[in-house]
Amino acid sequence: MGLMQYRANFLLQFGVGLSSAVGVLLPMVFVWQTNPVIGGFTLREAMLVSAFFLLLGGILGTVVEPNLGATVDAVRTGTFDHILLKPVDAQLLCSVRQVDPSRLWEVVTGVLVGGWALAGLPPPTPAQILAATLMFGSGMAAMYGLWVVVISLSFWFVRVDNLRFLLGAVVDTGRWPVTIYRGWLRTTVTVLVPVALVTSYPAMALLGRLELQAALGAVAVGLGALLVSRGVWRAALRHYSSASS
Amino acid sequence: MAGAPPAVVVEGLSKTYQVAEKAPGVWGSIRSFWSRKSRDVHAVRDVSFSIAAGERVGFLGPNGAGKTTTLKMLAGLLHPSAGELRVLGHRPYDREADYLSRITLVMGQKQQLLWDLAPIETFELNRAIYAIDRGDYRRRLDELVEMLKLGPLLDRPVRNLSLGERMKCELCAALLHSPQVLFLDEPTIGLDVTMQEQVRRFIFECNHRDGATVLLTSHYMLDIAALTPRLLIIDQGRIRHDGSLESLTREVAPERRVSVAAVDPRLAELGFQEHQGRMIRTVPAEDTNLLLSRVLALNPLWEVGVEAPPVEEVIARVFRSEADPRVEARDRG
Repeated sequence: MGLMQYRANFLLQFGVGLSSAVGVLLPMVFVWQTNPVIGGFTLREAMLVSAFFLLLGGILGTVVEPNLGATVDAVRTGTFDHILLKPVDAQLLCSVRQVDPSRLWEVVTGVLVGGWALAGLPPPTPAQILAATLMFGSGMAAMYGLWVVVISLSFWFVRVDNLRFLLGAVVDTGRWPVTIYRGWLRTTVTVLVPVALVTSYPAMALLGRLELQAALGAVAVGLGALLVSRGVWRAALRHYSSASS
Repeated sequence: MAGAPPAVVVEGLSKTYQVAEKAPGVWGSIRSFWSRKSRDVHAVRDVSFSIAAGERVGFLGPNGAGKTTTLKMLAGLLHPSAGELRVLGHRPYDREADYLSRITLVMGQKQQLLWDLAPIETFELNRAIYAIDRGDYRRRLDELVEMLKLGPLLDRPVRNLSLGERMKCELCAALLHSPQVLFLDEPTIGLDVTMQEQVRRFIFECNHRDGATVLLTSHYMLDIAALTPRLLIIDQGRIRHDGSLESLTREVAPERRVSVAAVDPRLAELGFQEHQGRMIRTVPAEDTNLLLSRVLALNPLWEVGVEAPPVEEVIARVFRSEADPRVEARDRG
């Protein structure tokens, strides 16, 4: 609601959201013009990955990023006190205080792109849709857990802006199918910063290419990330030093 | 309230912060990057006190004395380094929902009001967070709006309110859930005299009407003198005095200033000195009556005044009376 108080800025942010969606899709079209199949994905199949990437960016940008950014600021300035004083879970309160509706454009574009990609592909079975939903859910849980850990670090180090930018850069790798990455980079985007779980794995599930083992691993990573982030958050609260008076 | 358990019990409470230290300038920054030195700052040291339910207590001390740190530990924001504390039977740092919904902490320097929205939005948010029944919320809000005269402010964006108006809205937001214990950290800071008076009266009424326990810190001696029958004076992390203002005055400023509205050589013989058209002498409190009888024996029509030292001076004497090093520096590679 706070964001809607400034109307011009609100409209402008929709424009920014739309242009960032175009920025995701155009390079893929150019790259796939040089080669019809890259990393085992045709352009349409790769667009499915992009659709999930847009959904991820849209959801993170709408719900998670504004809150976590605000939390880091609150810790630095000490207004986090007021969050801790409320008789509800502080992590929950930190996660739902603000939304940035301008980023919903990316969600809308993601749905449109996904619809276009699926229209030219064999229709997925209900089991594949279920698996894709589960993969997307696990991936989002893992990404959320990771963001919570980054924010928790701000209780110790206060300034974590650069870490947030680094994370943003790694998240950007999720726009491409995970199969084009090799070695340590692939491990990084599936386990360390599990962006591939949110973008490539659901797409692979819809295409019927995801192995059961990988799917179970993704669920484990998602649950593990939630548990670990909860532990780190609680440890961080004990270190909160409440800036200034 | 005889026999009721105390609202606040603090035993041997301590809080030590580790603070990074660096020499000024670029070279200092570079050195600090490679080998960081830190030191321990003992913000609160071995503090013990207890507060009965419904009591109003003033927490007084110079900047950095440990008042706010103690308040933050009581409100569950900070974990103590050592010692025990219980508020309403809870350990504050467990931050149980039941505990947090029975207390409040108002900070004069940190606001909870949503900056770009009207105060009523923050009130509504708190209603949802504290799960206040709509009927109770309406009644309580009407009561607070009436007491604080908030009517015309409710729908204006917070950024357009004055400091005093914001503070009144802060108090309203902090008290909507009818807390039983009020921790108030400098609630009158930066306010003009009229607004200070309004806030003081409001705090007094809250204590009187709801029976809420009040622990208040302030730099303004008037806040303390007007509001809190009991004083806790903290300096350099330690409690220096626990009692009434009168007992403190007896203890640290046991003299009276006798002034006579006349200039007379016979008064000079009694040890008086001339000051701005009056004759003045300071004597130990127990000698005041004797001196007065001697003065009035000289001329029973003289206007004679007897004053205790002003509150500010009494407090300043407490802070001057003791000093010890509270920082123990040590290197950490």
